[in-house]
Amino acid sequence: MTAIQVSGLVKRYGAFEAVKGVSFEVAEGEIFALLGRNGAGKTTTVEVLAGFQRPDEGTVRVLGLDPAGQRGEARRRTGVMLQEAGFFPDLTVARTVDTWRDFTAAARPRDEALRLAGLAHKAGTKVRQLSGGEKRRLDLALATLGRPEVLFLDEPTTGMDPEARRDTWELVRGLAADGATVLLTTHYLEEAQRLASSLAILDGGAIVAAGGMAETLAAQSGRVAFRMPPGVAPDELPLPVTLEGELAVCRAEDPDLAAQTLLSWAAGRGLRLTGLDVRAATLEDLFLDRSTS
Amino acid sequence: MSLAATYKLGARLFWRDKAMLAGSVITPVGLTVGMPLLMRHVQADGVAWATQTFYGSTALVLSITGFMNIAVALSMRRDQLVLKRLRSTMLTDGQILAGEIASTVTQTVALVVGCLVAVRFVADVPFPDNPVVFVAATLGGAVCVAVLGAAYTAAIPRAELAAAMTVPVFLVCGVGAGAMGPLLDLLPSWVRSVFDLLPTSAAVHAMKTGEFAAPALNLALWTLAGLVAIRLWFRWEPRRS
Ligand SMILES: Nc1ncnc2c1ncn2[C@@H]1O[C@H](COP(=O)(O)OP(=O)(O)OP(=O)(O)O)[C@@H](O)[C@H]1O
Ligand SMILES: [Mg+2]
Repeated sequence: MTAIQVSGLVKRYGAFEAVKGVSFEVAEGEIFALLGRNGAGKTTTVEVLAGFQRPDEGTVRVLGLDPAGQRGEARRRTGVMLQEAGFFPDLTVARTVDTWRDFTAAARPRDEALRLAGLAHKAGTKVRQLSGGEKRRLDLALATLGRPEVLFLDEPTTGMDPEARRDTWELVRGLAADGATVLLTTHYLEEAQRLASSLAILDGGAIVAAGGMAETLAAQSGRVAFRMPPGVAPDELPLPVTLEGELAVCRAEDPDLAAQTLLSWAAGRGLRLTGLDVRAATLEDLFLDRSTS
Repeated sequence: MSLAATYKLGARLFWRDKAMLAGSVITPVGLTVGMPLLMRHVQADGVAWATQTFYGSTALVLSITGFMNIAVALSMRRDQLVLKRLRSTMLTDGQILAGEIASTVTQTVALVVGCLVAVRFVADVPFPDNPVVFVAATLGGAVCVAVLGAAYTAAIPRAELAAAMTVPVFLVCGVGAGAMGPLLDLLPSWVRSVFDLLPTSAAVHAMKTGEFAAPALNLALWTLAGLVAIRLWFRWEPRRS
């Protein structure tokens, strides 16, 4: 079953086209990462999906519903963590959660929500006194309060410390394991790689890479890097390399094989390859490769 | 359930915000009780003057505790992206605004009735002949100004300007209903007839005289205009251009 469907989405701000014909689908129970540089159009896409804005062209469906046209029904079944939204500064954390529980059908108990977000010790603190990361945790607690079927998280872990980020990953994985569909945006590519099972990379409002995480990464070349042996010119090497300072970098679909080729070439010449680093493609490689600056 | 929740939230936020309380409760109550008290003692025909001033001053409660309060609160919440966050919940837009309007109305009605009781004792202003119409007109007036205040936020570019931009409104409403005593009588008659069309003037007229039909029509039309304006122009997010 498809939980989120975006086809040919165009969104303009005045004459500026922020999203230029984006299409993707997210299956039920899947964690999907929407990636891209600043200004790529992630938040715009999320806001359309959450029903805050109407598409200028194309259609979006969330659980088969039009999020703007059938907002009431769509909101009952979705949770949203916006990139930017305000709190009531004079309410305490506990009061804020209580207030939100009044708005939320089948809400988690307050203490459970606070514990999941790692905020139990701040229950009595006024929201205006929270740190940036603590506010983000409260944001997360509110977005997940009603155990939504579809959850939109726009940069959920920005400003969180490493432990809070890990807690957030656990929370998101738990929700997905219980059947929730999660669409998240992040600038932490390692986070996306660990958490999401599929992804799309936006660049200048258009998709430049998309698909399952494993397949997409497998199709991307890995990397072998080593210090250039003194007195060797790049074209003497058995494989093409690019120089990054004193490092020679070789891109290869099978980086293990490439490393072996390079090592046996070096052994034949009585050379040592120092600083050798072999790794499969990461999301960061893919990202830097596909998105233009 | 959700309307009750937003109502409760609006009330909770109102009574918690000390600065706002000072501005939107103490000032109008001070005027509405203080002015009649003054009139009672400085004028020869004290009770009549006090009564006149009291009814005029209720227009100040309506326009400050009702209109100004909701306009400031909503534009602040809009600019701080709190309205946006509320919209990310299950609440409908209507519930969010209705809760805010209903809690403003409660506060306004409570203050007017409280002032009525206070002036009865400190300035001998008699209770209205028709208390039912008094309460109904207070309620109708409060709903009307709260709806208009919510609609007015569309004209407020930034929250910092909200309070300043409502000052002319409550000055006009106050003078128009006779809150400033004899000032009204010095104005040309066409100005007075324009002032009579204000919803606060209509509400005050009904409270004072017990007349109901014409003021009710006036309030209904203003309320309708406010609702239409909300539909057309209400902004849930700060302006970005
Ligand atoms: N309300 C608006 N009015 C005009 N332009 C806007 C508006 N909102 C966004 N934009 C523009 O649209 C583009 C996409 O913005 P968006 O917020 O979707 O980017 P993003 O991918 O979420 O970026 P980031 O990673 O920085 O959050 C940007 O160039 C931005 O300047
Ligand atoms: Mg963004």
